[in-house]
Amino acid sequence: MKRYSTIALAVAVAATAACKDNAVVNPIDAPTVGALSGALTRVTLQQLATGALAQDRGSANAFAYAIETGILARDVYRIDASEPRFVQETLGGNPDPGSFSGSGAWQGYYTAMRAENNLILALANAPASQFTAAEVNATRGFIRTMKAIELWRVIEVHDTVGATIQTDDVDAVTPVRCKTAVLAYIAALLDSANTDLAAAGGTTVVPFKMPSGFTAFGRDYSKVSNLILFNRGWKGKVDYYRALDRTSPTPALFATAITELTTALGAGPGAVPSSQFNTGAYYVFVPGGSENTPNTISDSKIGLNPLVQDSVQAGDTRASKIVPRTALAGFGLSTTITYVFAVASTANQSHPLAILRDEELVLLRAQAEIEAGQFANAVLDVNSVRTSYGLTATAFATQAAGRNAVLYEKRYSLLFEGPQRFDDLREYKMLNATFHRPETSTDPFNAALPLPRAELNARALTTNPACTS
Amino acid sequence: MTRIRSSVFSLLLLALFSASAFAQGRRISGRVTVEGSGEPLANASVSVVGTALGTYTDDQGRFSVTTPDNGPATLRVRRIGYIQKSVAVPAGATESNIGLARDILQLETQVVTGTATTVSSVNAANAVTVINSEKLNKVPAQTIDYALQGKIPGALVTQNSGAPGGGVQIQLRGISTINASFQPIYVIDGVIVDNSQIANGINAITAAAGGNFGSTQDVRVNRTADLNPNDIETIQILKGPSASSIYGSRGTNGVIIITTKQGQAGQTTLDFTQRFGSAAISNKIGIRCFSSGAEVDAAGFDSTGFGAATNKCHDYQQELYGEHPFNYQTIASLRGATPGGTNFYLSGLVQHDGGLVHNDNYNKQSIRANVGQKFGGRLTARVNSELIHSLTERGISGNDNTGINPYTLFSEQPSFLDLRRQADGTFPVGPIVANTSNPFQNAELIKTPEDVFRMLGSGSLAYDFISTDRQKLDFTLNGGVDSYSDHAKVISPATAYVEQVNANPGTIVVGDANIVNATLGGILRHQLVANAFSATTSAGFGQVRRNTDVIENTGRGIFPGVTNVSSATQIFTTESQDIVKSSSLFGQEEFLTLSERLLLTAGVTAERTSNNGDPKKYYAYPKFSASYRLPFLPPKTDELKLRLAYGRAGNQPLSGKYTFLTNLIEEGVTGFRASTAKGFPGIKPETTSEIEGGLDWTLFTGRARFSATQFRKQTDNLLLTASIAPSTGFTSQTINGGQLVTHGTELELGMTPIRMGQLEWISNTTYSSNKGKVTQLPVPGFIPASGSFGSRFGNAFIKQGQLITVLQAINGCTALNAAGTACPSANRVLTFVGNSAPDYEMGFSNDLNFGSFHFSSLVDWRKGGLGVNLTNDYFVGAGTLADTARATKMLSDFAKGIDVWVENSGFVKIRELTLGYDLPAGLATRLFQGRVQSARVELSGRNLKTWTKYTGLDPEVSNFGNQPLGRFQDVTPYPPSRLWYFTINTTF
Repeated sequence: MKRYSTIALAVAVAATAACKDNAVVNPIDAPTVGALSGALTRVTLQQLATGALAQDRGSANAFAYAIETGILARDVYRIDASEPRFVQETLGGNPDPGSFSGSGAWQGYYTAMRAENNLILALANAPASQFTAAEVNATRGFIRTMKAIELWRVIEVHDTVGATIQTDDVDAVTPVRCKTAVLAYIAALLDSANTDLAAAGGTTVVPFKMPSGFTAFGRDYSKVSNLILFNRGWKGKVDYYRALDRTSPTPALFATAITELTTALGAGPGAVPSSQFNTGAYYVFVPGGSENTPNTISDSKIGLNPLVQDSVQAGDTRASKIVPRTALAGFGLSTTITYVFAVASTANQSHPLAILRDEELVLLRAQAEIEAGQFANAVLDVNSVRTSYGLTATAFATQAAGRNAVLYEKRYSLLFEGPQRFDDLREYKMLNATFHRPETSTDPFNAALPLPRAELNARALTTNPACTS
Repeated sequence: MTRIRSSVFSLLLLALFSASAFAQGRRISGRVTVEGSGEPLANASVSVVGTALGTYTDDQGRFSVTTPDNGPATLRVRRIGYIQKSVAVPAGATESNIGLARDILQLETQVVTGTATTVSSVNAANAVTVINSEKLNKVPAQTIDYALQGKIPGALVTQNSGAPGGGVQIQLRGISTINASFQPIYVIDGVIVDNSQIANGINAITAAAGGNFGSTQDVRVNRTADLNPNDIETIQILKGPSASSIYGSRGTNGVIIITTKQGQAGQTTLDFTQRFGSAAISNKIGIRCFSSGAEVDAAGFDSTGFGAATNKCHDYQQELYGEHPFNYQTIASLRGATPGGTNFYLSGLVQHDGGLVHNDNYNKQSIRANVGQKFGGRLTARVNSELIHSLTERGISGNDNTGINPYTLFSEQPSFLDLRRQADGTFPVGPIVANTSNPFQNAELIKTPEDVFRMLGSGSLAYDFISTDRQKLDFTLNGGVDSYSDHAKVISPATAYVEQVNANPGTIVVGDANIVNATLGGILRHQLVANAFSATTSAGFGQVRRNTDVIENTGRGIFPGVTNVSSATQIFTTESQDIVKSSSLFGQEEFLTLSERLLLTAGVTAERTSNNGDPKKYYAYPKFSASYRLPFLPPKTDELKLRLAYGRAGNQPLSGKYTFLTNLIEEGVTGFRASTAKGFPGIKPETTSEIEGGLDWTLFTGRARFSATQFRKQTDNLLLTASIAPSTGFTSQTINGGQLVTHGTELELGMTPIRMGQLEWISNTTYSSNKGKVTQLPVPGFIPASGSFGSRFGNAFIKQGQLITVLQAINGCTALNAAGTACPSANRVLTFVGNSAPDYEMGFSNDLNFGSFHFSSLVDWRKGGLGVNLTNDYFVGAGTLADTARATKMLSDFAKGIDVWVENSGFVKIRELTLGYDLPAGLATRLFQGRVQSARVELSGRNLKTWTKYTGLDPEVSNFGNQPLGRFQDVTPYPPSRLWYFTINTTF
């Protein structure tokens, strides 16, 4: 009897032990987003900031950013056998939403935005023992600025198709908003970032190590005073394109843009020295090793449209960016020239790519001045760039002449630095056969990339939906 | 849970108030013999019906048992493998001699119904297949899976490659999943054992999947290959959830329950088996011979040296795969019991199987000790343990992108080239292939040793609280561990031509996998025998824990002769680790009534698993079944039983619960961001419900048994990868959704058509067919992740309304080009070309015994099914197929968009053939100096002959190893072999 009880007890203990065993197994192979919910430390912040910035760099270093927009602006050819992505769906037809060329400039940026949103949420848990309030504000201001840049890069190539505004809810599939609304959101985000930065104070330094592209190119953006310049530069750029928007212009914003760009440049029309032109923020690439992020422009399949060389003015020292190459031909296209950094070499694979530099801001200000009728100031800004490259000063007094003059400078100053020329041609309503030689017999002059197939599928759509304002 | 625990206590209380009584009776003695031959039958259990009294027979079949009183009594005699018998002993009689008939057709096998409960197949409600040791080991097999081929209706047992050492997939009742576990679980003596496939790392040199580490294309071995088939007493196969629901979220794909041999009462026997054998390549690709230099040039090759060659056509396959290895297996076992209540089974195995290439081989050694001990009348303890070592060297085969695999190289070089080792010891460079790789040099220099040390251990404690004629209550605690380390190396020295084109020549891969599965369970079982019924109640708990840690180091740029990875110029490392914990509670009631005609069973298992979104939530897996033996029988019928069973089992998620952080590096600083694969916090197991019905019919006084089973299996909440809107920052998420329905039929006919004196013919025929259809799919159609080479060749495809095993390929063209020679890519028609799974499978097993001579055969027939023969593509594309007319037509048809690589993969194979002879007792005694009880010699063969229309090496092949879908990719595999063995078996 006693023995039965002992054994019964043992059974009961065993059964209880079985039930009490800890059911939860924490993942051991990799950290999860759950790791972000606790108190933020400087180590974690460094990892999250690097993760977000590395994702941002990777997204911009993709085909859709500089190369595809270069093709759509008819400055660039990419000719190899892996078609239809490089010619047949860009210059010869419309990009398929499921294809390499049609699905770009989307997911990478939204993944970066998610990383930035996660970081901003994590900042709410930044304890005073680790961070000063100023450091938190500085970080938030910087990351919000970066988030605005991601969305700008989505909308600048999706244009009339629209883009979505990501929220903190990871499950929310938000409506596709029209360009005007998206640009307004970006502008507001940049302003709220600016408020954060102002609250941080100019002398504050962000509490993590920035990549050298943000610190080693003439201005150290780890200091808030410089981050404010970065933020205002972007705001000026965004406001200029909001003002100009070919489908829904807001001319009142030209003056705003001029003011913001002047703040960012720290000098008035014609007063920005050429030594400052390369000052700005950059992506720095590390080819090889475990990081292995070569600059995608460095590609032997890339050549320039022969017209790029034909149009360069005599004496323009920027012509040194253009070099001869062995003939590249196919799909009815051929070229014997290319951009010097497109020549595949180890040095070119690590060639930095500007995120935003002062030369672009000077020319953006000139563009805004032209639209605002301030031709004298515009001429000063255009000439400050132009004369620094060995050309004689120019003059213009009409919007059309001003646009042409600034387009020339932007084309050669910012050659292969991103979608700037594509944006300008489109907004100037010059992306058509009136202004361009069609490169193929069926050249459709694409102004926007479609929503990617994956985005359409997730919304149970087959074609781009009408955007909401 | 509280309720379950309190019912456990109620049962205990019930036990405490029970009592038993004894009275003095008489002693009945006698002898149990085999019906017909009159041989004594040892270890038969003899019990007095209606009491708990009983005993076992000795070596001479003698027994002596005491009855409670002097009145009439009934003795029930039972022994595994024989049909039980009840014999009436009149009042006062003291002697009874009983003959038992062999249960050739397995009419009365005990089949499992739960963790600790069994029922006689007479009453079983499920079609559980039981395979005993004799049936399993008729013909020696390299691994246990080979030994199951063709023997289980409803199981598709398919060999992935001819490489030595295993790689066999068992699929029970079709496919039940797309992304979760797809293989049945193996339970040995109550312990769940691992059947993972660990990549050995040859992908680092074949680049089949690219990268620096192993891949699914590494010709992997599933690790149940380690088990020693000779230690197995029985294998029970629970084919689907209606039988396996007690295994919870591991039960969907069925369960293979293995019981190892135990010591038994009677004289200790030493069994010794020595086998010698060999193997030979059983099928070759027809490789082209060139008759003139001009023909060589016309085929696009360089004919330099053609005239000078003494032998203008090399049979490369014979030259490389022509080895006739010397294979052997030595098996010894000792089995017995001591008067002190200890019983033991000890065994050892030493096995060597050579490959068709002289450096390839498979070696296995194992020792097992199973020991049981009784303490008094109530407590029994048992420990089973096995230590296994295997060493496998499989060489290079399967898909490759570096020109390293023999068949890739055979296809690319005209056969007049002599590539063998020259008299001076060097190998000619491959003059045609860009990297000068030579298959004979690769076979000589590249080493692929994979060492596995495995420990299987289990222990149990059983206590009988009550053991009366009316009532039994016992508790069993059972636990065990399956633990192994798999240490694989690939050494490809810089001196191999194939390495010299690399930036850093010389590759070493060192892979280590450490896998531990631990199982713990406790079962309380109560049996109540009343006049009108008997009821068996069981309840208990179970826990399973699995730890895996797989690490691979690959070094590139290694000095020849160095085998240490750390000396490499470049080193790459990867590791993956995992812990899974499951816990379950179960209860089951079996109710046998109406004179043992009606059996009703109901049970439920509640289980939680750490991989589920909510690791604390218990999911319920119920089952119900009924069987009824008809009281009114058609003529010639001994028994007719109808059965119906329903059960639900699960398939736990393997991943997908968490959103991980992905690491990115910028300027050497490591950062993290949320992965683009979004976690699903609500993830839960797939659930498969199965309803199975059938009949078992015994006729002609036990001479024939027919069994028919029909089942319907429905899997819901399939684990699927859904694409999500990338604007959320994520691209995919694992979800539960969709539905898969499988219908199938299994028939089995066992007969003893002849039983006349010395002559006996036993025949067993099985038939099975099943078809699974995707009935709901909440995501767009997709190609499963399991691996394929695209629709130009043929791939699996998941689509609502289609068969789960459908094969999709480009076949047809809306309009050919102007010349009519090719189909422009836009005009190709992507279509479903058919079912990759066989229409049905039949097995024919026949045993013929004539006195001391025994003959047995097993033929395996698969009707239909499709394979994608990419091996052909290598030879056709290169112009090296012997049948040039066919090659030309295939190329031309392929250009026109026809699926020329898709072929019917049906076959008929002679799996097993044995001729055995029992040495006469006198001869055996003389030969072995009087110490031998019996001796038998056997000549046997495996996979001796294949009939098929398939033009590749073997229709069973799978380039990606075991996988749920799309296992039909045939890419330059290791050729199949036919095996022979000569066996001497002696019992001392």
